Amino acid sequence: MIQFNKNSSFKVFLLKLLAFFITVYLLDFVIGQSLRKFYYKQESGYDYLTTYSIDKAKADIMVFGSSRAVNIFNTKIFEDSTGLTCFNTGRYGEPIFYHYAVLKSVLKRYQPKIIILSFDAGNFSKNVEAYDRLTALLPYYKDHPEIRPVVALKGPYEKLKMISNIYPYNSLLMPIITGNTAYSKKKYPHINGFIPIKRTFAGPLQTFDYSKETGLDTVKINSYRSFIQDCVAANIELHIVCPPYLIHAIGTDRSIIEGKRIAAGYNISFLDYSRDSFFIDKPQLFADYRHLNETGVALFSNKVIKEMGISKL
Amino acid sequence: MIFNSFHFLFFFVIVTSLYFTLPQNKRWILLLLGSCYFYMAFVPIYILILGFTIVVDYFAGISIENAVGKRRKFLLVCSLVANIGILCIFKYYNFINTNFSFLLHGFGLTNPIPYLSILLPIGLSFHTFQAMSYTIEVYRGKQKAERHFGIYSLYVMFYPQLVAGPIERPQNLLQQFREKHKFDSDRVFEGLKIMIWGLFKKLVVADRLGIYVSGAYNNVAQQDGITLIMATIFFSFQVYCDFSGYSDIAIGAAKVMGFDLMKNFRRPIFAKSTGEFWKRWHISLSTWFKDYLYFPLGGSRGTMMRTYLNLMIVFTVSGLWHGANWTYIIWGGINGFYLVFALVTKKYREKFDSLTGITKFPRVHLFLQIVVTFGLITFSRVFFRAKTFDDAVLVIKKMLTFKGSIFNDGTAIILYSFFAIFFLLAVEFKREFYAGSFSLSHHKNFWVRNSYYSLLIILIILLGVFDGGQFIYFQF
Repeated sequence: MIQFNKNSSFKVFLLKLLAFFITVYLLDFVIGQSLRKFYYKQESGYDYLTTYSIDKAKADIMVFGSSRAVNIFNTKIFEDSTGLTCFNTGRYGEPIFYHYAVLKSVLKRYQPKIIILSFDAGNFSKNVEAYDRLTALLPYYKDHPEIRPVVALKGPYEKLKMISNIYPYNSLLMPIITGNTAYSKKKYPHINGFIPIKRTFAGPLQTFDYSKETGLDTVKINSYRSFIQDCVAANIELHIVCPPYLIHAIGTDRSIIEGKRIAAGYNISFLDYSRDSFFIDKPQLFADYRHLNETGVALFSNKVIKEMGISKL
Repeated sequence: MIFNSFHFLFFFVIVTSLYFTLPQNKRWILLLLGSCYFYMAFVPIYILILGFTIVVDYFAGISIENAVGKRRKFLLVCSLVANIGILCIFKYYNFINTNFSFLLHGFGLTNPIPYLSILLPIGLSFHTFQAMSYTIEVYRGKQKAERHFGIYSLYVMFYPQLVAGPIERPQNLLQQFREKHKFDSDRVFEGLKIMIWGLFKKLVVADRLGIYVSGAYNNVAQQDGITLIMATIFFSFQVYCDFSGYSDIAIGAAKVMGFDLMKNFRRPIFAKSTGEFWKRWHISLSTWFKDYLYFPLGGSRGTMMRTYLNLMIVFTVSGLWHGANWTYIIWGGINGFYLVFALVTKKYREKFDSLTGITKFPRVHLFLQIVVTFGLITFSRVFFRAKTFDDAVLVIKKMLTFKGSIFNDGTAIILYSFFAIFFLLAVEFKREFYAGSFSLSHHKNFWVRNSYYSLLIILIILLGVFDGGQFIYFQF
């Protein structure tokens, strides 16, 4: 039995605790529901593009990937060249399991004709921050059971945290406010998810040493494999593309080797431009080491469309 | 197991519930087992090191008490050597070896001594200092040697303060394990309130500011002076909220069970001088150094020169306590210099104050004193935060230019950071200067208090950083 202080009533303690939890719950519910309403009312910004990718996009060609997908795969050129509609679901800094979660939501609604997965060097590298990035999927956790196993990769207590109505919108107050204003539309202009970069690279050219790379993350590799398997099972034409880099690399990226090996096992094309001499050491085509600028994107898009064999011509 | 985790939440609820249901004579077993589990949740094997120091100091305490004459001192020295030896092996071995290599290299020689690839046991400096304070107090005759091995082990291992303090004294903590703590709802709520405020400081302020600080300090060469000034100011708030947040959670968790741990911070942001700052910052360590190093060195009883030397020694050792790196030693040295400089210039500063007439405007005077102290302490923290000495020098060089633009890795991050600082300052300002007046946190009406703490929880969920990770002071 709990031993009490003479002046202390356990019943009063429990009642006060209950009152505290009810107050927290009510505040959490009201504020959480308000945030939810305004989150889905956004008409621009990164969260809006994710919502559109998961809930609405019905394009023939869907592009997946991180910042290099967003900035390199020009949807307009793809549409003009192929005669098909195209949407870019890419999101800055997101790892492969994020793309897999978005794919699962997309496949639940419809089947695109072609899927392009943008692949990066170091895609399978061990990196704890990659799991933190899954926060971007939290707002969709309640309505999309298919993404829950991916969100669970974030940590063992995510399911418990999701009891809160506010938690899915943690740190999103400002983006939600700006996403509901005209300011955001100006700040984040996009063409079906593609965001061009206009600047030209001006820094000194360096080399990148792949031999220093950390070990490979099996969770990321498994997500990549699942991504391919789901596309194959749905009879979708899948192209995996590693866009060009500006700089020379020492050694070979282990993620690219592994990515190619797995793709070959499913007879999926893996187009590797990471060492394409057409782009290397041409700063006029790049915005930075990893991202082509508008000029580079135009050249690359035409090149990759031709090689994929999806041109209408 | 970190305080800002669900793992700890479950652990705390289970241990606390069991604590109040067990009879008094069995509670120490629960707390000891709980503390072992808590510590082993980090790196299990390191409990052996903790066990070693506990066994050594337990027997040293009894032996010192039973001994007479020079043998007492000898036993104390043996115990201190064992404790400091552990610290040297795990914390300073590679640092000493690196410097030795550097020295040999100067003579064209190669260092044959190998490096150790070992992880620093978490909180090693904290529990070693706590254990050392026990044997010293027994030696001084101010504390009776503890005969109960379990209770003594608990004194070193009590989980709330095991890995990052407060560094307790035996006179305060040991006897509390024998006191009967009945469930007291007021006390429990008081403890929970302290814990909530600690969580707020850690998740909403420290970890939020940490995003910007890491962004700037991890890539110093690419940043402009203005960015580094802002990042350094942010770091000052970050390190305060990170560490005092931990202390608050530790003090609150202990209070819920009926234990009173010593206060570790007293709003150091509002210190009027660097001397006062050290009476408000990490109080348990500052007083440890005062009692066991500064006073034995002679304190301020000798000549002024001797006092200055003692201050410099204490602060340099304090720097070394924080980490095996020259940056920490320099940081300690700078803070020692501040105190020496303050003593040397005291008369001139007083003269300057009366000449300018600033003392006629006490609020302006106070404000300037606080700002200058904060500026000096923040400046020294460049060495505390920078990875290397070269980085620190580069940061200072760039800061002095006042050039460039502010690095913006997302407007939201900066806005949340400013909100967090503003909220913190508002609460601390009220507590510092208007302690007795209207208070939301201690309002007599339950619903006002309830709403205030509910709001804090909501702010934590809304703006807290849940992927922020460990506490900065764990590494010490």
